[in-house]
Amino acid sequence: MTRFRAWYWLALLAVLIGIAMVAVAHGAVSVSLAAVVDALRGRGDPTAIAIVRDLRLPRVILGALVGAGLGASGAALQGSLRNPLAEPYLLGVSGGAAVGAVIAFALGAANDAIITLAAFAGGISAVFVALAVARVGGRGTRGDMRTLLIAGVIVGAFANAAIMVALARAEPNTVRGALWWMMGSAADATWERVAWLAASILLAGGALVYWAREIDVLSLGEDTAASLGVDAEKSGRRVFLLAALLAAATVSAAGLIGFIGLVVPHIVRRLGLRAHRPLIVAAALVGATLVVAADLAARTVAPPTELPLGAITALLGVPFFLVQLRRTA
Amino acid sequence: MILSRRIFRFLATLSLALAACDKQPSQLATLSDDFGDPVRIDHVPTRIVSLSPATTEILFAIGAGARVIGRSDFDLWPAEARAIPALGNGIQPNVEAVLGIHPDLVILYASQDNRPAADRLRAAGVNTLALRLDHISDFRRTAHLLGAILRDSARAKSVTDSVYHTLDSVRATTAKLARPRVFWHIWDAPLITVGSGSFMNELVEIAGATNVYADITGPSKPISLEDVAHRNPDFILAGPIGAQKIAGDPRWRIVQAARERKILIVDTVLVARPSVRLGEAAVSLANLLHPEARR
Repeated sequence: MTRFRAWYWLALLAVLIGIAMVAVAHGAVSVSLAAVVDALRGRGDPTAIAIVRDLRLPRVILGALVGAGLGASGAALQGSLRNPLAEPYLLGVSGGAAVGAVIAFALGAANDAIITLAAFAGGISAVFVALAVARVGGRGTRGDMRTLLIAGVIVGAFANAAIMVALARAEPNTVRGALWWMMGSAADATWERVAWLAASILLAGGALVYWAREIDVLSLGEDTAASLGVDAEKSGRRVFLLAALLAAATVSAAGLIGFIGLVVPHIVRRLGLRAHRPLIVAAALVGATLVVAADLAARTVAPPTELPLGAITALLGVPFFLVQLRRTA
Repeated sequence: MILSRRIFRFLATLSLALAACDKQPSQLATLSDDFGDPVRIDHVPTRIVSLSPATTEILFAIGAGARVIGRSDFDLWPAEARAIPALGNGIQPNVEAVLGIHPDLVILYASQDNRPAADRLRAAGVNTLALRLDHISDFRRTAHLLGAILRDSARAKSVTDSVYHTLDSVRATTAKLARPRVFWHIWDAPLITVGSGSFMNELVEIAGATNVYADITGPSKPISLEDVAHRNPDFILAGPIGAQKIAGDPRWRIVQAARERKILIVDTVLVARPSVRLGEAAVSLANLLHPEARR
């Protein structure tokens, strides 16, 4: 913590704000920074005002929130599970959310809000199923977080099967809509959605930061945790649930966006962070930056078509991670 | 509208006359379908499964409706077609279900998804014809092909002539009018529009307008909302559900035409099929785009 100097934080924040500004100004229609400022104050060309206020700004903020949620969720999970492969989508959250969304699509849900709600409900239900499976399967291995991880993977596998069954029977337009949703996109950003996601992320993310010291203890192992007077099972469940909530909120807002939850914690640890309180905050900042950058690429690389954000995050993130890996190796 | 009603009456007469011309001498005919596969038709088919709306419409129009024993879920016109058993959505059809009703000709939409089904049906000894209808000329070609297979080329020709006659007259009416630039909203998630590879682009031009996405060469493509705003169309064409979504979604405010509620609602079942009702579709589009010249 002491080695992570103040200017590191400033740099992380500056990069995020810089990329966000470029993202607001750039797109199919380029708006100069002066025009962006004018548009924010409601002046100038009505199309520019609409583009900045109704489209780009909510979209950039939504992307940042999604990245922050996934980054923080991944950092908390990898720490508490002591597993560098742990990531929010392994908990069954993504599968459950996708089942919820696909069912909504298959029933012909025309409303974005209904699909979002269905995805959130699906994601959270999957987490509770995973917790129940772990409780049944974990008898005799109480407190072993690995049981929880396996339960999540199993629930996720079941969800994938359910999605395939649902899509095999669906009509082509439903399949297309559902696949597009699963590929992840920030294009459906609205202010209501941004507000809703911001509230969930502040709540669940704030709680994770609040209990970050317990994650520090968990990361030492269950036995050590027990010897330090921490109820490993109870803390582990709490972290699991909060991380899942974060992931479910992001998935319901923007579909499946891979890679961020898995690799952002690695990137942040390579910056030298170990304690989970700053680690979670930094993972949120880096995750936000990566998703905003990926979304900017998604809508500007191949106009007039937008590429799926979930693919771009990995396409951009993997080389970024490899460079980091090389530098620190 | 008068023209289209005339076509309807014409088609109804044709359908009534179909039973008379069943017995014709068998001939050998070899042709190739839109997968490029050779198809040998030795006799006039009597049990046809048609798994795309456009070909089903053509079969009814050329008087072969009574020979159609299977259709896709979307083949809803003419009304008699609804009485025929539906065999799924027409993409990757259940081969066993198709074979189960013993067809002697299966007509599939020639998309790559349907390739395995076409191969299997042929392997099972059923004549299978994969047809792709993207352009208005594909309608004429397909109608003439089906007319030849059913040994009634004259009737097929009179159907296509009548459609082309209507299209020509709409084109002539709109030729002198100002051409608004339009955006055609096909689907909202993802946002999809039509390109110049689609008959819908041709319909827009015949109806006296210009598609802002005519530079897309394929039949359709996903595009971004910002790009629509950038191209700034005069009007938005959309189905009833699409129009509702555009009107209710704040993000669409970035498109001037949406802000100004210049959304023209099209009948998607009428205008989305490259078939017998193309003329009627062109008339309805022209009426929407040029209400001042409405007849």
